[in-house]
Amino acid sequence: MKQFTYTVSDPLGIHARPAGLLAKEAKRFSSVCTITKEGQTKKLTQLMMLMSMGVKQGDTVTVAAEGEDEEAAIAALQSFFENHL
Amino acid sequence: MKDKIFGVLQRVGRSFMLPIALLPVAGLLLGIGSSFTNQTMLETYNLTGIIYPGSVLYTVLDIMNQCGSAVFNNLALLFAMGVAIGMAKKEKEVAALSGAIAYLVMNTAISAMIHAAGGVEAMAANSTTSSLGITTLQMGVFGGIIVGLGVAALHNRFYKIRLPQVLSFFGGTRFVPIISTAVYLVVGVLMFYIWPVVQNGIALLGNLVVNSGYAGTWIYGIIERALIPFGLHHVFYMPFWQTALGGSAVIDGTVVQGAQNIFFAELASKNADVFSVSATRFMSGKFPFMIFGLPGAALAMYRCARPEKRKVVGGLLISAALTAMLTGITEPIEFTFLFVAPAMYVVHCIYAGLSYMLMHIFRVGVGMTFSGGMIDLTLFGILQGNAKTHWIWIVVVGAVYFFLYYFTFSLMIRKMNLKTPGREEDDEETKLFTRADFKAKTGVGPDSSSAPNVSDSVSVLILRGLGGKQNIADVDCCATRLRVTVIDGGKVSDTLLKQSGASGVIRKGNGIQVIYGPQVAVIKSNLVDFMETDGADLGEAEEVLQPESPKAAKSMQSIRLSAHMNGTLVPLAEVADEAFSSGALGGGAAIEPYEGKLFAPADGTVEAVFETGHALSMTTAEGAEILLHIGMDTIKLGGKFFYPHVENGQNVKQGDLLISFDLNEISAAGYPVTTPMVVCNSDEYTEISVLADGTVKVGEDILHVQS
Repeated sequence: MKQFTYTVSDPLGIHARPAGLLAKEAKRFSSVCTITKEGQTKKLTQLMMLMSMGVKQGDTVTVAAEGEDEEAAIAALQSFFENHL
Repeated sequence: MKDKIFGVLQRVGRSFMLPIALLPVAGLLLGIGSSFTNQTMLETYNLTGIIYPGSVLYTVLDIMNQCGSAVFNNLALLFAMGVAIGMAKKEKEVAALSGAIAYLVMNTAISAMIHAAGGVEAMAANSTTSSLGITTLQMGVFGGIIVGLGVAALHNRFYKIRLPQVLSFFGGTRFVPIISTAVYLVVGVLMFYIWPVVQNGIALLGNLVVNSGYAGTWIYGIIERALIPFGLHHVFYMPFWQTALGGSAVIDGTVVQGAQNIFFAELASKNADVFSVSATRFMSGKFPFMIFGLPGAALAMYRCARPEKRKVVGGLLISAALTAMLTGITEPIEFTFLFVAPAMYVVHCIYAGLSYMLMHIFRVGVGMTFSGGMIDLTLFGILQGNAKTHWIWIVVVGAVYFFLYYFTFSLMIRKMNLKTPGREEDDEETKLFTRADFKAKTGVGPDSSSAPNVSDSVSVLILRGLGGKQNIADVDCCATRLRVTVIDGGKVSDTLLKQSGASGVIRKGNGIQVIYGPQVAVIKSNLVDFMETDGADLGEAEEVLQPESPKAAKSMQSIRLSAHMNGTLVPLAEVADEAFSSGALGGGAAIEPYEGKLFAPADGTVEAVFETGHALSMTTAEGAEILLHIGMDTIKLGGKFFYPHVENGQNVKQGDLLISFDLNEISAAGYPVTTPMVVCNSDEYTEISVLADGTVKVGEDILHVQS
């Protein structure tokens, strides 16, 4: 399993729009990609769950990928977080 | 990395199974047809009066003979298509077509190159052949496998490709045969240069094996058996059976390569006096230990079981031993001791290798279609006559092997106190076997279609054992095992899988093999069917266990969603925000509202009203997850101008007012108010179609969400 921790700097947090793009990014990989905030873990591909977490600016989340292409997945997700969130 | 290679090899191995499954039938045709048209055989059994050239019976037999040969002669094409099918992830039929096309294109390109180089005479001796009427390089099934693997890779990469509008007709799956043709044209040209080098290499290696004599045969046998637990034996022996690695011979003027091909060419030939042992050495060794040795091992295990367990264990061992004897499918019996007593398996490998060597020494020339059971022995050994095959040695060595296995295994079990079936300290394991045995008899046998509930319960167990439907990336099977790629190997439970009737579980990272025996094809079909039914949607163990529970009975039904606003319908693709227009958030439609009110499009539960009040998610009674998002970028308003009327978790009816908002103020602040409604779990539906356009009113159906 590969993972990284990220503190959200986008003032709006992970709302519908970035959640959609994030889920789309995660779906490109066969690995299971998850996001954890305060002990609560959700799959990145489950859009509703992701949005209902209500991740805001300043929240620290852990993003993980596990599976055959986990390295590629985690790299893509990391750059997504850095560029969009 | 190692796991990944194993995963790929495992898929390659199982993709061989489709063409290989044809061999026993083709072998039957060829075996019967050729046996009874062989002059020597007819004279031996005084049949020349009934069966003679020109008689009806002879013609029928000759047709069988030639049709059987047709399969063996075109195996490369079958592998090109079969491997493409096996390795393609989806839309497999397109991969099959592409495989066939690519195979023809590649060989035709090679043919043209050969012609340009001065024809067959200019090529090295025995390096060319005729395949489907095309003069090409002698590539054996390797040619087919190269095509199959490459086409599958192209297919998996391109079958969803989108081309520019004008070319869109050629997009998607239609692009796969096109790109395959282009690529294999080039591959064919390259092969003309590369393959002769490979041919030399193979010939050298083949010579090495052939010249290594009896010791080489022994080592071949050991490796072949030792690979069984990994399921990679097909990958190992196939080159010997099907390519120059297993030797070359000239039969009736045609060059034939590969041990199995040589045997069947000799079988079809009316001129062969005796079968080439240099070819059958890669096959005949299976007979003694499969028909005699392993049943001896089964008897040893039976005798060593505790008396009160014998009845239970007996059923398991007898069926496993019979399977090995008749069909030459040995995994069921081998896996009863492989896991509990690996030392016995090591001995088994050495004995098996020895069996190959002994058959080589005694010049036994009995081939096989698939494995070394009684059926193949009868057709290709006994019926061909002892003069041609020396099959009697199989029985002689076999008789010794029966006792060898029986005594060695008995000794090992007793001295080392190995926990073979029926010898467990506690009762648990045997109970599992009992249940497994019971299920195998009642639920998953060939007649299981008449007992769908039992087969479903097996599928439930398997699904649970594999960590639920969500955990399964891919399911397939070979002759005896279910081959599954899972997402999280940690969720796989050996105990549950054994309860489902498995005799063993092999795991390599995310590649899981569950060994069931020959009935695995039925188990797989049931499992796949079951996975497509409603009950399997919920992968959680408890829920699957109780299919009668209302939650498990939930299914993705088709539903209709009504307009969430009064206004003008806007296709989702025309929404200004890419997150919606691209479909990233799911399929749906948007409305440009006339008034500042958002209504429920269906009955359901409000999942989340966003803190800023600009969006709301809800789940319909049927399970569709819907996101309603008022305006574009309106999150930036921080909640101003939005007035939610519902709370999280509240049940709502279609047409209930959810949120009101100040249309004019939002517009004045510079934000569009186009409001998309998207189905977030669109993946679980086949299609979402828009039913209306222009002006729509709340209550009017605008979306059809099809399961």
